Amino acid sequence: MKIKNKFLFILTISILIMPSLWAIGKSSAIDSLTSQQQQTEGTIKGKVTDKSGETLIGVSIKIKGTNSGTITDVNGSFTLSKVTPSTILIFSYIGMNSIEVKVENQTSLIVKLEDNSVKMDEVVVVGFGTQKKVNLTGAVGTVDSKMLQDRPVQNVAQALQGVVPGLNISQSSGGNLGNNPSINIRGIGTIGAGSNGSPLILIDGTEGDINSLNPQDIDNISVLKDASASSIYGSRAAFGVILITTKKGKAGKTTVNYSNSFRLSSPINLPQMMNSYDFARFFNAANENGGGGAIFSDARIQSIQDYQNGKLGNKTIPVSANNPQYWGDGYATGNDNIDWYKAIYKSSAPSMDNAISVSGGNENVTYYLSGDYLNQVGLMKIGGDNSQRYNLTGNISIKLSPAVTIAYNSKFIRQDFDRPSAETNGLNQDLARQGWPTLPLYDPNGYLYSSPSPALALQNGGRTKTQNDATYQQVQLIVNPLKGWTIHADLNYRVYDNFNHWDDQQTYNHDVNGNAYLFNSYSDVHEDAYKENYFNPNIYTDFTKKINDHNFKVLVGYQSELDYTRSVAVTRQGIIVPSLPVLNQTTGTDASNIAQSPTVSGDYQQWSTTGVFGRINYNYAEKYLLEANIRYDGTSRYQQDQRWTVLPSFSAGWNVANELFWESLQKYVSVLKLRVSYGELGNQNTSNWYPTYLTMPVGTSNGSWLVNGLQPNTASAPGLITSTLGWEKVSTWNGGVDVSAFNSRLTLSYDNYVRFTDNMTGPAPELPTTLGTSVPAANNTNMKTAGFELNLAWKDRLSNGLGYSIGFLMADSKSFITNYPNPTGNLSTYKSGQQIGEIWGYQTIGIAQTNDQMDAHLAALANGGQNSLGTNWQAGDIMYADLNKDGKIDGGAGTLSDHGDLKIIGNNSPRYTFGINLGADWKGFDFKAFFQGTMKRDYFQGSYYFWGASSSGEWWSTGLQQHLDYFRNDPNDPMGLNLNSYYPRPLFNGKNQQTQTAYLQDASYIRLKNLQFGYTVPQTLTKKIAIDKIRIFVSGDNLWTLTKLAKMFDPETVDGGASNNGNVYPLSTVYACGLSINF
Amino acid sequence: MKTYKFIFIFVAVIGLFSSCQDFLDRPPLSQITPDQYLNQESQLASYAINLYAYKDGNGNIVSVFPTHGAWSFGTFGIDVNTDNMASKDYNNMYVPGQLKVAQSGGDWEFSNIRQCNYFLEKVIPLWKAGKIGGDAGNINNYIGEVYTMRAWNYFTKLQKFGDFPIIKMTLTDNMDVLTNASKRAPCNEVARFIIADLDSAISLMKTTSIDGKNNRLSKNTALLLKSRVALYEASWLKNFKGTAFVPNGTDWPGKSKDYNANYLFPSGSIDAEITYFLTQSIDASAQVADAIPLVTNTMTAEQQTGLAFSQASDVNPYCSMFGSVDMSGFSEVLLWRQYSKGSGLTHNVPNYEESGNDGIGLTRGMVDGFLMANGLPIYAPESGYMGDDSIAQLKINRDGRLWLFLKQPGQINVLYPSNIGDHATPVELIPDITNGSAETVYSTGYTIRKGLNYNQNQCANGGGYTGAIVFRAVEAYLNYIEAYYLLNGNLDSKAQSYWTLIRQRAGVDADFNKTIAATDVSQEAKNDWGAYSGGQLVDQTLYNIRRERRCELMAEGLRYMDLQRWRAMDQMITTHYHIEGFKLWGPIKNWYDISILKFGIGDASTVSDPSLSTYLRPYERTTTSLAYNGYKWAMAHYLQPIATSNFLITSKNNDVTTSPIYQNPGWLVTANSGAQN
Repeated sequence: MKIKNKFLFILTISILIMPSLWAIGKSSAIDSLTSQQQQTEGTIKGKVTDKSGETLIGVSIKIKGTNSGTITDVNGSFTLSKVTPSTILIFSYIGMNSIEVKVENQTSLIVKLEDNSVKMDEVVVVGFGTQKKVNLTGAVGTVDSKMLQDRPVQNVAQALQGVVPGLNISQSSGGNLGNNPSINIRGIGTIGAGSNGSPLILIDGTEGDINSLNPQDIDNISVLKDASASSIYGSRAAFGVILITTKKGKAGKTTVNYSNSFRLSSPINLPQMMNSYDFARFFNAANENGGGGAIFSDARIQSIQDYQNGKLGNKTIPVSANNPQYWGDGYATGNDNIDWYKAIYKSSAPSMDNAISVSGGNENVTYYLSGDYLNQVGLMKIGGDNSQRYNLTGNISIKLSPAVTIAYNSKFIRQDFDRPSAETNGLNQDLARQGWPTLPLYDPNGYLYSSPSPALALQNGGRTKTQNDATYQQVQLIVNPLKGWTIHADLNYRVYDNFNHWDDQQTYNHDVNGNAYLFNSYSDVHEDAYKENYFNPNIYTDFTKKINDHNFKVLVGYQSELDYTRSVAVTRQGIIVPSLPVLNQTTGTDASNIAQSPTVSGDYQQWSTTGVFGRINYNYAEKYLLEANIRYDGTSRYQQDQRWTVLPSFSAGWNVANELFWESLQKYVSVLKLRVSYGELGNQNTSNWYPTYLTMPVGTSNGSWLVNGLQPNTASAPGLITSTLGWEKVSTWNGGVDVSAFNSRLTLSYDNYVRFTDNMTGPAPELPTTLGTSVPAANNTNMKTAGFELNLAWKDRLSNGLGYSIGFLMADSKSFITNYPNPTGNLSTYKSGQQIGEIWGYQTIGIAQTNDQMDAHLAALANGGQNSLGTNWQAGDIMYADLNKDGKIDGGAGTLSDHGDLKIIGNNSPRYTFGINLGADWKGFDFKAFFQGTMKRDYFQGSYYFWGASSSGEWWSTGLQQHLDYFRNDPNDPMGLNLNSYYPRPLFNGKNQQTQTAYLQDASYIRLKNLQFGYTVPQTLTKKIAIDKIRIFVSGDNLWTLTKLAKMFDPETVDGGASNNGNVYPLSTVYACGLSINF
Repeated sequence: MKTYKFIFIFVAVIGLFSSCQDFLDRPPLSQITPDQYLNQESQLASYAINLYAYKDGNGNIVSVFPTHGAWSFGTFGIDVNTDNMASKDYNNMYVPGQLKVAQSGGDWEFSNIRQCNYFLEKVIPLWKAGKIGGDAGNINNYIGEVYTMRAWNYFTKLQKFGDFPIIKMTLTDNMDVLTNASKRAPCNEVARFIIADLDSAISLMKTTSIDGKNNRLSKNTALLLKSRVALYEASWLKNFKGTAFVPNGTDWPGKSKDYNANYLFPSGSIDAEITYFLTQSIDASAQVADAIPLVTNTMTAEQQTGLAFSQASDVNPYCSMFGSVDMSGFSEVLLWRQYSKGSGLTHNVPNYEESGNDGIGLTRGMVDGFLMANGLPIYAPESGYMGDDSIAQLKINRDGRLWLFLKQPGQINVLYPSNIGDHATPVELIPDITNGSAETVYSTGYTIRKGLNYNQNQCANGGGYTGAIVFRAVEAYLNYIEAYYLLNGNLDSKAQSYWTLIRQRAGVDADFNKTIAATDVSQEAKNDWGAYSGGQLVDQTLYNIRRERRCELMAEGLRYMDLQRWRAMDQMITTHYHIEGFKLWGPIKNWYDISILKFGIGDASTVSDPSLSTYLRPYERTTTSLAYNGYKWAMAHYLQPIATSNFLITSKNNDVTTSPIYQNPGWLVTANSGAQN
């Protein structure tokens, strides 16, 4: 109810704004009507044809400044009444250039529309320049600002999910404020052992943080997917590049845009816990089934029931039997009935976004200035969490002389986060595993009671406050010494300043008489600061030359990067005044007044790269297209002899549609381009910045063995390193086709690729344990990834003026390890030939319905039954299949040659990820729906969160609604008989919880990511109040999901959270409404 | 011209940046390289202390010495799964077939050993060259600490595997080198290597701990450890002589490998080896025992009861020694680990002391093993034993240690109330034997107060910070007595005086000869696996030496080591042993609401059937328990199996017979296989 109310409230406000605008518009409409009446109204007829004289059907004819108009009929004719000589008609047609015609005194018109050559001139931002889209030979995906508009997202990356095929965004670690999605291009590029394969994200040419950008500032995004497109960026671009270009000013009228949105988030897929009675029965069953007896005694169950029935009033917990001054231990004696997820998370949280931008300029100076404020409230009900983001952007370009332009670009971004210190990564885990429903939230006197439970610490245990500032400074000098020759010199400087504070406060429980007593005696203040200076000069020059039909473009350049970080962190105990959690106001002593050394740390880090590059583009009459790149790159990560690498790439294209023989088909298919590319890239993104230096692990005051009551300094032996560690080689073959047909109504782009990641820094090969330390990572693994991407779109406008579009995109990839040193064939690490993501498990026969059935199954297994998985097999336990027919169920030696009864039962890589984009507009109304999903993915979620009762015992188990469907074959069971259950009988034992076919999850899904309705108020109305455009909208994110996944998981976060148990800060459904005004 | 100018500028600017060749030389700015470290006294100290306890890759604290951990009964719970102490659940070690060869992992690993080797390899040459800065005595001491730590780590491997590779230096990541280093040295060679390291430590270290608080190792700890290791190896060789468990014994698997096929004992024979080790033990233990007096027991008479008992035991050094926050004042504590709330280094032992001991109870066997105060066994006709119809009753006129350390309902647990300790149990409750939680249940009905601290401020949940004893000097007394008797078959005056001192302190008639005379080992065998060696009952004197060890070191974590070296489980290969708790089905049953004592109803049973025994049998509540018929044994269980992957990695073409490693007796190389005999 609460969500609804707030949503209605916001809706009402928007509706209130609308009529007032309309009222303004209305009065002006009346004015215009009066003025029009003074002129003679007439009717105009006409015909619309294309260049060759053929009539065009369905051409839209609009009276400028209104929403009224008509379209041409089957003969290409139209009639329009109520026109005056001053009326201007706009003729528009898909694939053709729109034209405007003033009526004047004409009564009939013949209008010829030209092919939309502007469309054919569309340019795409590529590495160090732009390229006509039709001439692209690499695999490049693009996103325009419309895709990002009005999405109620926390960050840009969320809005990119499912928008470009092959660009994979996942939010698997949950919806915490400030939690950024992870991004990859074309699936996993490296197996992540000692190196990472994230794409390079460049904002106006310099590396930056996509997540803190103001979405409104983005003009367009290019995603460079294959090696030929990205190789110009060399070693940092091995796994693709995302190029973000921000908006620039245009000469002409000054325009002001203001937009806002009001949002309401509510958690999706919040787990539902069992009620206290069911929970007690469930845990008792689990313990008793293992011969451990009841955890909840009959008397306790009675009092749990009594409490549920209101017979105990507010006695959530009895007085401690052995310590009558206090309440009892929550686990041992609590009677409460709490769903901890409901207790901790809100059902809805508001947020708000305000953005304003001003742009304009003259022929010498152009500018774009913008500001944005995003205030977001998190979902924590107890303690509360929120974040603020401030963005300030300025882009100024000055033409110093006809040949010299200087541009300055500045961005300042601040993000503030405020949350309870107790809201850690483990919180959700703790809610599930230790948030027993019987654990009291409040004691009978109404005080938050921790015994222990998370609420008290969330409320009173101190706050974590983070402030992240980012400053981007960019000066760009552009010189055009001759026609076709340009020199660019960019100096980019970026500073990150992160300050983080947390304080842990003493917390108090209250005894039976309501007197406070210290529950958590530990208090401290922590401060840390981190600063990163990143300096990146890019100097490059290009030369374009056209000789007849031969078009040349040559580029050479130089780039280097230097990154330098420093940090300092201090923690000191003993807060003197709880309201002043600052370092100066700490005593440095613990609760017993014993001095404790503060934890102090600080360091400096650095890395650098440098490279020179060149590119040649050639095309013959835009039919035959060729491109070659080369880059010579060096990095500080490796020793001198391994430091440098040469990275070449080539691509070629053939636009068949430009051939003479195609001429007759041109009007149907205007672009048919075949592309092929090959490129080699190097990856130097080792997780350790100094992978070839041996360093001594040294710690100050961090020892675990106290000497004289204090933590001593520590040191230990350095691990091993591979001094010959070097580049990972990534080479990609890409083939593609681009089609544009039916006057650009239909566009299709398809890519097929194979990527080889060779000499990958792989997990260390197994060595005899006599080594005594981890085996150092080495360039020992090769991987092959193959996949495709499809982007299909249809765009049209119907004769009634309804414009609509349908877009479908899909991407898929599979990765295989082609070589890894695993001579024993150990299944627990990589094997040559294996597909990434494969899941090994047992084949499930089913749950034994009776002891006889189980006995018969075991009797058929003469050589040891299921003994290696567990003992005491009974009705309600899983029967596993003896796949290798050796008369026993086991995993053999755990090797490829002897894997017992294990087999590959599935694969957890997401396959066939897709996006569906539907759009329509009609008379100022617009509609957009965006679906996103994965068509195939297996997942085995073996956590206690899936199973309920786990082998790690009662403290690592949970009871959710779904777990109630467990096997019960005792007719007298208080929970009722349940023979046809989903789950086996509960046990604090893993024997039924082996990875197996019956519980393999289908993690495929489709989700309505965004649904949007907008209305643009007619310009005739808004013009009168000097407003160019007003659009109001309502929008919703994550509105609907279809999946077969077990209900306690969300398909996007099933592998996220602590220990990948799929238990995270929930994602949200976000409802939003707002408006956008252009002056 | 203009064109050339631009080209010139462009090239010049590029040259400016790229000409700096060392632009890409970016060494670590904040990390210490190995050559800068381990050349100062303080650096040696930092390195050495991290060998005691360290944080592993996941941030979990690993204590190399057995101490108290976050949610366990700490050192007091280590004896679980022996005939002394029992938890709620049986242990697979006593259900042959259930203990299996692992596919990978386990204790066949060398990380702590490498840590020690790195230090010694680096420091010893510098030290010999006089290149280490600081006080010479202190430098020597820290080097001695590392020798002791290497010895300790090797001793843990010796107990688990017997024969074990001796690696004295850090190895490179070269397959051949590492495979070659996997060759197992015979167990007596491992023991000799440990003793050599300890001799180095003894010659280098200060007699008492360098920190003045016994938080760090000292010469005395090295001596005590030496006496322990030597006694361990001597009794192992003696009791397993001729079997596959000792070098050159029948079916000794070492024979199958070239490098051990022609093994010769350094002293010529196994008997000479035994003598060598016993001599070493006698010598080392006497040095400690002569130097370190026992802490006094101020409560030798069973006078105090109720509050007076608690108040007296709070100030009784022999009681408070085990549960004090600061243990540096107790002469007998040679090494202890300190905890601190401020450092977040706390444990839950004090709460468990006041409740069910984390579900680890004393067994009836342990309790019955204590003598009467008059020195007679309970079954002796004149003993005066009152029976065990209640806990209070069985303690009447018993060994003072049982009276001091066995809890009984109604006793006061808190003398100093504090509002920090909301998990305290101020008054000892009726044992909650039917609780389903393995943590809060009283598994046997008998629990200890050894280690209890009377201050409630120790009883925040998980927030206790009492110290943990690692080495206690009384062990040297006991080692001397046993080693001397094994070597000579009699007791010299020194051994006699040590034994007398222990018995006097315990409040038992000091005349051990009286006890020896009254002892019927076959009676004792019902309650004490230590009555056997190799399936045979031992003589009365040796039995009473073992009994003294058992009673004095109750719940101090040495029981399994003793049972192992005594070869005290063979009899269970053929005869089941029933782990029992208190006498539930006597008058004690009236302590409970009879409806919660459920038996004979399958998995929901809460107690064992009275028809099985009048004593509570924790593992015999339900017939589905694999220990329902009692505990059994397999010879193979005396040593751990080595995980399969170790053979595969060190073999050629995955043929495990080519590996230099051989499996322990009675185990296969096949993963998931149980003991063969």
